[in-house]
Amino acid sequence: MVKRFSQNQVERLLDLVPYLTNNQGVALERIAIDFQTDKSTVIDDLNTLWMCGLPGYTPLELIDLSFETGFVSIRNAEVLSKPRKLSSLELATVIVGLSILKESISKSSDHYEAVSTLIAHLLASTNVPAPVSIQSKVDPEIRQVCEGAIKTRQRIQILYHSFAKDIETSREISPTGFQVVDGREYLEAFCFVSNDYRMFRIDRIKSAVLNGPVLENPVHKTDTHVLHNFSLSTHSDYRNVAETFQVKTDSINLANTEFESSAFDDEWIIRTVCSFNGAVTLTSPKDFRSQIVARAKKAVALYV
Amino acid sequence: MSRKSERLVNLVIALLATRRSLTKSEIFRTIEGYEGSEDSMERMFERDKDELRSLGIDIDVSVLDPLFEDEQGYRIKPDSFAMSPSVYSAVQVAYMSLAAQLWKDASLSEPSQRVLRKLSGIASSVNIADIPSIAPISINAPIFLVEIINAISEARSIDFLYIDSDLNVNKREVNVYSYFSNDGFWYFKGLDINKGQERTFRSDRVVGEINVSKNSRSYEVPKALSDKPIFEESSELLRASLRVRVGRGSQLRHKAISIVNEGDHDLIEIEYPFEKEIISMILWHLDDVEVLSPKPLRERVIQSLQHLVDSHG
Repeated sequence: MVKRFSQNQVERLLDLVPYLTNNQGVALERIAIDFQTDKSTVIDDLNTLWMCGLPGYTPLELIDLSFETGFVSIRNAEVLSKPRKLSSLELATVIVGLSILKESISKSSDHYEAVSTLIAHLLASTNVPAPVSIQSKVDPEIRQVCEGAIKTRQRIQILYHSFAKDIETSREISPTGFQVVDGREYLEAFCFVSNDYRMFRIDRIKSAVLNGPVLENPVHKTDTHVLHNFSLSTHSDYRNVAETFQVKTDSINLANTEFESSAFDDEWIIRTVCSFNGAVTLTSPKDFRSQIVARAKKAVALYV
Repeated sequence: MSRKSERLVNLVIALLATRRSLTKSEIFRTIEGYEGSEDSMERMFERDKDELRSLGIDIDVSVLDPLFEDEQGYRIKPDSFAMSPSVYSAVQVAYMSLAAQLWKDASLSEPSQRVLRKLSGIASSVNIADIPSIAPISINAPIFLVEIINAISEARSIDFLYIDSDLNVNKREVNVYSYFSNDGFWYFKGLDINKGQERTFRSDRVVGEINVSKNSRSYEVPKALSDKPIFEESSELLRASLRVRVGRGSQLRHKAISIVNEGDHDLIEIEYPFEKEIISMILWHLDDVEVLSPKPLRERVIQSLQHLVDSHG
């Protein structure tokens, strides 16, 4: 039975012995970090362990610990010196983690094959199921270039698909870090085209090439984005509407009232309303309504 | 707490170290911490066994003397308790550590931290610096992924509250078969017991917790799970021919099976399983895309565009 983790002293002590055996001289603070606890708990654990050993319980049989100096060494703990087998829950975290790792490695890399083999090896010893698939729109090669750029402080030249504007632009950026928002991976970078920091969705970076070292840290400019407020009325497809426009409500409310939302990109608002194919009507602002009319008319004109 | 932990650790050590099974009276006589009347020691030992078993420790019970069935012996077999030294190679340990590290700050960070501890107890760990230390930086899997995995591995049905496409919350009962992740979302799939059909559920549309049935082995998980996520039973693929402005329609080009340039436009052929989805995508592109065929799709897009004009005018 896969169980959620509970902080149990016995379990911790049984893990502590092999950990100490293989990390002789480790600092108390380090143990506290690795065991996600505090230093006084570690000392309490060590004091308890000190009283343990083989029947007889003379110094010959007891586990021998020294930690007065703040660094821990252990002797006479042969019986418990090997780590416990992974539980099914622990195996599950490893199997899911490896599956994600595998997806993020480019197939041409040696690691890809090695990780695949390891997953198969682990699955053979357990009934923990692996995910059927892990799919991401992010190209592992592009992620790797971005990661390399951050590590070595280099600029990169990217071809980026601006989703709402529906254009691909080439720009030079200097990446500073990764972020995950709502499960999507973003690259945070200074963009030399907009001369400001921007977040780039990694799955919309079509190509990325290293482009020389970062010369100086650009200064952060003030946020110039404008948040547009708008209101909508909904006629069907309620869950989709609620998720897309991030409205927290139920269907009855959504069906009977206008709701307000906001977004930074006016293009996104207009195109998204159109894509809902009649499930929503934009009720304000007026300016957006007339843009929808004008652009839909232009599209109708293609067909006459 | 410490006294009890001490006794339990001593019990584990004694049961692990012994070559032959130990009887209860041997345990009471030799292991530190068993005190009091025979009855209270008995009760103590029963509780201790339960506690160790709840930690996943397998206590082997055998009958020592066939003539006296009451006389049972206890031990912990070392190979059921500990990892064998050669079970994972140094490189494998490094990959597994990396995999566990992905859960940092995510829903399963605690068990994955335990994995790291256990793995750091294996000698000769290596550091593979050239592995992209990256990966999806953090895992946004739901906290109940554990329950899903548990349910599949033991064929237990689950029930939960789910937001349907009309935004109504309903109780669903599912024989869960598989789970997967697609484009940042986690899904699970199985037989919806009340609908009598297979369904796929997106984990962020589950309201609250998932209840796992107490009955295990209550259904058969199909042997052959499709490796493609199925969101609905998709019908056959339909084909459409579109006229798309050059430099526009990146999403449609991504689906293209052929692209032929015609000056400032491209002719793009796409295949699609669901009309609703493709109409939505075409509308999104407004006057950058014209549907050439099939005729019903073309008609519907014209209608929808006209409706947009009327409802916003």
